Amino acid sequence: MRRWSAALAVAAVVLAAGCSGGGGDGGDAASDGPVKLRFLSLAWQKESIAANKQLVDEWNTANPKIQVEYVQGSWDNVNDQLVTSFEAGDPPDVIHDDSPALSGFASRGFLLDLSSTLPAELKGDIPQAAWDTVTFGDGKGGQGVYGVPFLQESQVLFANKKLLDASGVRVPTSDDPWTWDEFAAATKKMTKGGAYGVAWPMKSPVNKVLSLGLNFGGTFFTTEGGKTTVKVGPEEREVLRRIHDQLHKDKSADPSALGMGTADPLPGFFAGKYAIVPAGVYLRQQVAEQAPDGFEWVTLPPLKGVTAQQGATSQTLSVAADSKHPQESVKFISFFLNGPNQARLAKGDWLLPTSTAAAADPAMTTKDNFWDVATASAKNLVVAPYLKVNGYDEWKSKVGTPTLQEYFAGKISLDEAAKKLVEEGDKVLERYAQ
Amino acid sequence: MTLTDVRPARAGRGPAPNRARNRDTFMLMLPALIPVLVLSVGPLVYGIMLAFTDARSGRNTETSFVGLANFGDLLTDVDFWESFRIGMIWAVSVTVLQFLASLGLALLLDQDLRLRGFARVLALVPWAMPPVVIGLMWRLVYHPDAGILNAVLGTDVDWLNDFSVALPAVILVGIWMGMPQTTVVLLAGLQNVPKELHEAAGVDGAGVWRRFWNVTLPQLRPVIVAITSLDFVWNINQFSLVYVLTQGGPGGRTRLPMLFAYEEAFRYGFFGYAATLGVAITIVVLAVLGVYLWRQMREAD
Repeated sequence: MRRWSAALAVAAVVLAAGCSGGGGDGGDAASDGPVKLRFLSLAWQKESIAANKQLVDEWNTANPKIQVEYVQGSWDNVNDQLVTSFEAGDPPDVIHDDSPALSGFASRGFLLDLSSTLPAELKGDIPQAAWDTVTFGDGKGGQGVYGVPFLQESQVLFANKKLLDASGVRVPTSDDPWTWDEFAAATKKMTKGGAYGVAWPMKSPVNKVLSLGLNFGGTFFTTEGGKTTVKVGPEEREVLRRIHDQLHKDKSADPSALGMGTADPLPGFFAGKYAIVPAGVYLRQQVAEQAPDGFEWVTLPPLKGVTAQQGATSQTLSVAADSKHPQESVKFISFFLNGPNQARLAKGDWLLPTSTAAAADPAMTTKDNFWDVATASAKNLVVAPYLKVNGYDEWKSKVGTPTLQEYFAGKISLDEAAKKLVEEGDKVLERYAQ
Repeated sequence: MTLTDVRPARAGRGPAPNRARNRDTFMLMLPALIPVLVLSVGPLVYGIMLAFTDARSGRNTETSFVGLANFGDLLTDVDFWESFRIGMIWAVSVTVLQFLASLGLALLLDQDLRLRGFARVLALVPWAMPPVVIGLMWRLVYHPDAGILNAVLGTDVDWLNDFSVALPAVILVGIWMGMPQTTVVLLAGLQNVPKELHEAAGVDGAGVWRRFWNVTLPQLRPVIVAITSLDFVWNINQFSLVYVLTQGGPGGRTRLPMLFAYEEAFRYGFFGYAATLGVAITIVVLAVLGVYLWRQMREAD
């Protein structure tokens, strides 16, 4: 039996060693070396990665005591990656993400509430409307600010100038944009000779449709007495029906574009197959770079229904609650997102800066590549209700995406789609209500 | 220590040296057992335990024991059963078609061809590729604009995003990916079929087809049962391929059960429920496999 106890002792030692190995990390913070921060960046366009890395280098040169390590992430799987690293207790200190994802992480306590730690200068530079996109419940009844919003996207229209001019329709301006009716009429006129008036890429339809839904006051979610439910009433149906009409009634939209991702219709757009492609402002980069010689294009301002409002989603920088250096992380964010730097990031990503100082930068209002149209569209961005819905991500992937895709493909009617969105959607949201 | 003091007295008449030998054997096995216990049995037991809790992602969440509540939810979870149905279609069709294709390939490679060695190596190539690379490669093949498939067929189909074509397209990749293992195992089985049986059947006037049906297949039977069962388990647990190819889209048409469980855990944060899904899938797979193997065994007798 002595051998038995020896074996047990060995096992105990192994276990103890394993435990102490896991718990011993915290002690290094007090040592003298420079503080090390990890910055998970999701930049993916070439210019944008360059801008991000350059800013990190500048910071590292200026702050030898706080060294930032650039970690490359990807939009495709960032939230899965974050869940595992949050659960493991070893997340990156500074996290790049977007506002729809923050709500869930905030309510689970993974992110640091920044409301009291942000410097006044940064707070004042970014308008309240943008801060609203990152203000969420903390899961314990309170509210907090869980990120710094810095880049925003609005939905605009890209038009083939030759086809637009040939059709003779009124060219909209930022002050006098097209209404949805004018848009429908214009696309009908431009549908001829094998060309379609518009291509709606609907591989990920939900954010797009819900954001445009605000044009007619469609919110898709209501909260009463702390309980959130899905709502598809007359306001919500407007945009759904109008897109459906273009596809199936007017036949001015190409049904084969439905399965495409946002950038996929570009080859057809350049070939004159589609007169108009609705997309986020960032797509200007790909259009400008990939357009063949002699191809003329314009960016048209956002459509107007009752209003021209669209749902704002922001790209954000957040600090992990488990970060060992929260103050240093906030300092880094304040530098990274100050006015001039935001202008550089916005230029790199062809998106709209939240900073008012950056928006006033001449580069943001130039007529080149329609920065003026893009920047003007920022005034239409309001907080979309779906940002605050706990469980929105699951609703989107299990109910929203398949239902909208089936509806636009003409497989189900509007009533059936509405019923599915509400009934199946409410069931999903119930899981998050507890 | 009291137990050990008492034991020799109680077991006085027993074969004491034999027991000592057993103990020595056990001690020798212990170093090999520890990794198995720590790395395999431990997580397994932990996973099964999780299935009976409401564990959720979160920094300050409290986990409590909820008994069979998760299994109750599971029974009424329409989305999961839809995913499970897709998983069964996927696993059965991949396994069956893969078997048929591999059998053909194995029979071919068993012939006395020129460059046989080279052809056998070629047949193994997909095995050398990680599933993620296979997924990326086929994504390019299926690409609606730049893909080679549309170029060759002269079609304009978005293979991976079309509601009706996506699942068959993914199944095709699954078949392609799993063919090497199946082919190699069947080929090994074919080479163990005694030549004398073929010769004897030939002498009796049996044609090629007859000989295949009455000699080759019965001889291969144990190999076939083994490889199809393994393939089925492997296929229903497939994850990486769909994760790379379609992420479960379009509209969930290729959301295999394992991908579903993964999303529950790592996208929505319901760890307990995801563990329940894992346990449930294991039970169903064991049941299906049990019935299949039992029937095969009975027929073999």
